[in-house]
Amino acid sequence: MKIVKIKEDNCIFCHLCEVACVVEHSQSKDIIKAFKREERPIARCTVEFNYPISLSVMCRHCDDAPCIEACQNGSMHRDERGYVVVNEETCVGCWMCIMACPYGVIKRDTRREVWGLSTKCDACPERDIPACVDACPNEALIYEEL
Amino acid sequence: MKWMKNLKTYVPPSFVVERDDYRCIRCKACVEQCSFDATFYDEDEDRVWNWDANCVGCDRCAAICPTEAITVRRADPTYRYNHNWNGHIDSIKKRAIFGGTPVVSMGNDRPYPIYWDHMLLNASQVTNPSIDPLREPMELKTFLGRKPDSLDISDDALKTKLAPQLELEIPIMFAAMSYGALSYNVIEALGRAAKEMGTYYNSGEGGLNKDHYKFKGNIIVQVASGRFGVHKDYLDVGSAIEIKIGQGAKPGIGGHLPGEKVSETISETRMMPQGSDALSPAPHHDVYSIEDLRQLIYALKEATEYKKPVAVKIACVHNVAAISSGIARAGADIIVLDGFKGGTGASPQVIRDNIGLPLEVSLAVVDERLRQEGIRQYVSIVASGGIRNSMDVVKAIALGADAVYIGTAALIAIGCTMCQQCHTGKCAWGISTQDPHLSKRVNPDISSKRLINLLEVWALEIKETMGAMGINSIESLRGNRLNLRGVGLNEKELEILGILPAGE
Amino acid sequence: MKIVIVGNSTAAVNAVEAIRERDKISSITVVSDESYRAYSHPLLPNLVIGEVSRAEERFYYRKADFYESHKVKTVLGRKVVKLYPEEKVVELDNGDKLEYDKLLLACGGTPIKPPIEGLELEGVHTLTNIKAADKLRKDLKNIKQCVVVGAGLIGSKIAEKLAKKGVKVTLVELTKRVLFPVLDDTGADYIHKELKRLGVTLVLNDAVSALSGDKRVKQVILKSGKKIETDGVIVAVGVAPNAGLAKDAGLTVDRGVVVNDFMQTSNDNVFAAGDVAQAYDMVSGVKRPIPILPLAARQGRIAALNMLGMDVKYKGGFAMNSISIGKVSFISMGIVDSDELEVLSIKRGDEYRKFLIDPDNRLKGMILVNNVEKAGMFNWMIQNRFDVSWIKDTFLNSDFGWKYFNKAFRVLRLDRKIK
Repeated sequence: MKIVKIKEDNCIFCHLCEVACVVEHSQSKDIIKAFKREERPIARCTVEFNYPISLSVMCRHCDDAPCIEACQNGSMHRDERGYVVVNEETCVGCWMCIMACPYGVIKRDTRREVWGLSTKCDACPERDIPACVDACPNEALIYEEL
Repeated sequence: MKWMKNLKTYVPPSFVVERDDYRCIRCKACVEQCSFDATFYDEDEDRVWNWDANCVGCDRCAAICPTEAITVRRADPTYRYNHNWNGHIDSIKKRAIFGGTPVVSMGNDRPYPIYWDHMLLNASQVTNPSIDPLREPMELKTFLGRKPDSLDISDDALKTKLAPQLELEIPIMFAAMSYGALSYNVIEALGRAAKEMGTYYNSGEGGLNKDHYKFKGNIIVQVASGRFGVHKDYLDVGSAIEIKIGQGAKPGIGGHLPGEKVSETISETRMMPQGSDALSPAPHHDVYSIEDLRQLIYALKEATEYKKPVAVKIACVHNVAAISSGIARAGADIIVLDGFKGGTGASPQVIRDNIGLPLEVSLAVVDERLRQEGIRQYVSIVASGGIRNSMDVVKAIALGADAVYIGTAALIAIGCTMCQQCHTGKCAWGISTQDPHLSKRVNPDISSKRLINLLEVWALEIKETMGAMGINSIESLRGNRLNLRGVGLNEKELEILGILPAGE
Repeated sequence: MKIVIVGNSTAAVNAVEAIRERDKISSITVVSDESYRAYSHPLLPNLVIGEVSRAEERFYYRKADFYESHKVKTVLGRKVVKLYPEEKVVELDNGDKLEYDKLLLACGGTPIKPPIEGLELEGVHTLTNIKAADKLRKDLKNIKQCVVVGAGLIGSKIAEKLAKKGVKVTLVELTKRVLFPVLDDTGADYIHKELKRLGVTLVLNDAVSALSGDKRVKQVILKSGKKIETDGVIVAVGVAPNAGLAKDAGLTVDRGVVVNDFMQTSNDNVFAAGDVAQAYDMVSGVKRPIPILPLAARQGRIAALNMLGMDVKYKGGFAMNSISIGKVSFISMGIVDSDELEVLSIKRGDEYRKFLIDPDNRLKGMILVNNVEKAGMFNWMIQNRFDVSWIKDTFLNSDFGWKYFNKAFRVLRLDRKIK
């Protein structure tokens, strides 16, 4: 299975992976609309910075994913491609997956009326190469077999 | 907006950053990328601001902006137009305000004549056939080093003992740019590209990081007046040794690497204390004559058991032909001529902009002088300083060069936009910086690939032009000034360049 | 092979999945006294006030076709009344007998009945299963004011939900703070404030001694002598392992069914997992029941693998909880209050961070309030007995993350070279 590999030596802290992620998960997939018109999705990757270190971190799609194990109603599951994804329809935002995730890469989306929503990398199901990898100007994220 | 204006040190901005606020999505990529403090994000206003006075026009922000919201423009002069004083007003102000002579980098940017653009190449038509380089073999292989007066071939074997030679697959090498001036990753990229393309990169005067010893076989090591990082292993790693007497961008003065750039690894490589300024003296203090130079050349040859060619690099100055003759006679195997448009990591502006000779002219006179004296075969000539494209290479070789060095062109290939801020150490493209965060911006994988692409394309272009001229080996182009014609040059210039005017 | 699973919740479902990943042939029978498919227990408070209904997919633990697709025979609405470990047979309440080769006890827990007079009165509820929740939901129209006994996870949550619905709620807790075992004083203070903001009256350091009323409960009498008028009581003082079945069969039972590292009970063919089991707690170093969902899932899987004859060891678990009350979210795990451990803590407005580290520099527990997103990284550190001496200084930073780790380690971990 291919995952997004993190080459931190090449990360230039430009945040374009986050931008690309937001656009990819937006309704229109249009950068201006995604940021200015629509409700902006939360970026699934996070760029961390601690001079001179910078790196983008996102879900590692573990084999025996603790987040799936911790999910209280099966919302966190493995899809046909083998990636760990959230069923947005059923997620109740109990943050048990966050409690379990050994990489700390699940984010909280608290904008829904009743239920929270765990937000995480879904390896861009509609694309051949995840948006963040495509957007990275310095090959700090590469999509390849483990 | 951050209050930054200080009238005591105010000089009008050279650039204006225009931002299409509708397109700006506040991703702050530009804010993080600007290493010159010219871009800010104001959280309360939710706006990205620019402080134009700090902008150096490197275009990094515009390049990274995902919505292309940014355009960096040259600022229109705000003063009343004055042909005589234009450009000098700010220059005087800077000296008056800061009390120091401005330091600049890259090559001479003044509008001096560019002789390359006044020379045209020939092509074969009817009376002699042109060659298709995609069908016919085309030789770019070049050997640099002393050639014998004659060859003794008997019993089907070469009996003459040849002097050590540098073997180049293409007659283009990467010029001396030190680790210190450039970041680690750039050196890595240059090394990889040189190895892949069968050519050489020059370590510059700053020594060689141990990590880069792996490029042995594709390195020319430099010995300059500061003698930084020169030791046995260093000399051994080089395929050739280059004594740097002068540099085109700053003839007659030494080098200066500011202490801030002397990081832990740099200090180790240069064998000097961390944080102290690296000062290369103006002259070699043991070279005051051609005889002294001969001693240094032979000291280096002795140290490397006469296995490596020794090059001497000089800046092109008024007596370049006579000096070259002396260098050839002093025992050098290669002479590197660095024209006044050559680049630098830091040089006083007055020196860079006013001293030296054009490379084209120097090449022509040196080649001519050595031929007249019958010693042309003793040295190879490498042309350096302002080679911008493959046709400059072809013209240089036709004027008498054996090979060329490219420096600025190589840096442009890996991102440089020639903003001339190398001396600040804040290069936003990660090239001329020792900031570990900024230098990550050069990914050696991508950059070495681009360098390889550049050399491959240039090589192809050179072959195409040679083919057009009906020449199938770069050897046949060398010094072949009949293939050059001058346009828009006066008689004296044509005479010095040794070429005919167009039409003759 | 015949596998029988008693219980139909987290541990049972995960056991089924683990079995079917490797074994498509063995027969699996799931017996449960509840007649619904596996559902999400933490959502019961939401079910009560109608935020979620039983028609919604969200309420269930797995899809409706789970049993069919995993080829599981279900015996629902039947209780296992007796276990004969020698004969390898279980007896159901209708007298039917089921033979098994391997048996998994995953029958969870039952609500603890506190020693209070008047628990049989109308209007007195518990909240550990659908039945109880349904009963409460139907009764909700009669409840204008309610006393919740016990400020544990369920107690605090239902108090919050009822308050949101406009019910006047009084929360009575025996100890000095809500959520006693999973928060310290400072952390609990956030919840106290939030509950008060939502209109819940807190009665701490007090307990209910009696309920009074004719047919329906009318008044709650506290130990302190205070009396609270009410028309509903919810008793939520905790859950005890459902270990009766195992005990009667002669298996080793302490507070729960005692299991070894392979989730095996004192009988080789009987395994236990989930709230009923008493397994190793790696933080305290003793065996104790930890009734939380992620551990039930893991224990179910591990028990299943061992039932199939694989040799998979349970490394041990520890208590961990992720709870949101109103706008306050927190995640805590392991030991959250101790005088013997090194404590790092910081309170920064809405955010509270606390870490407990033992003399060997191993993380033993932590609390994160509101800024919880990196909680799992600490979970990993506790589980793997990670030496935190060189990184603990950064724990209190709000932006704690990968950037603070040693580079070589970080690269290996993110490349999934070390687990």
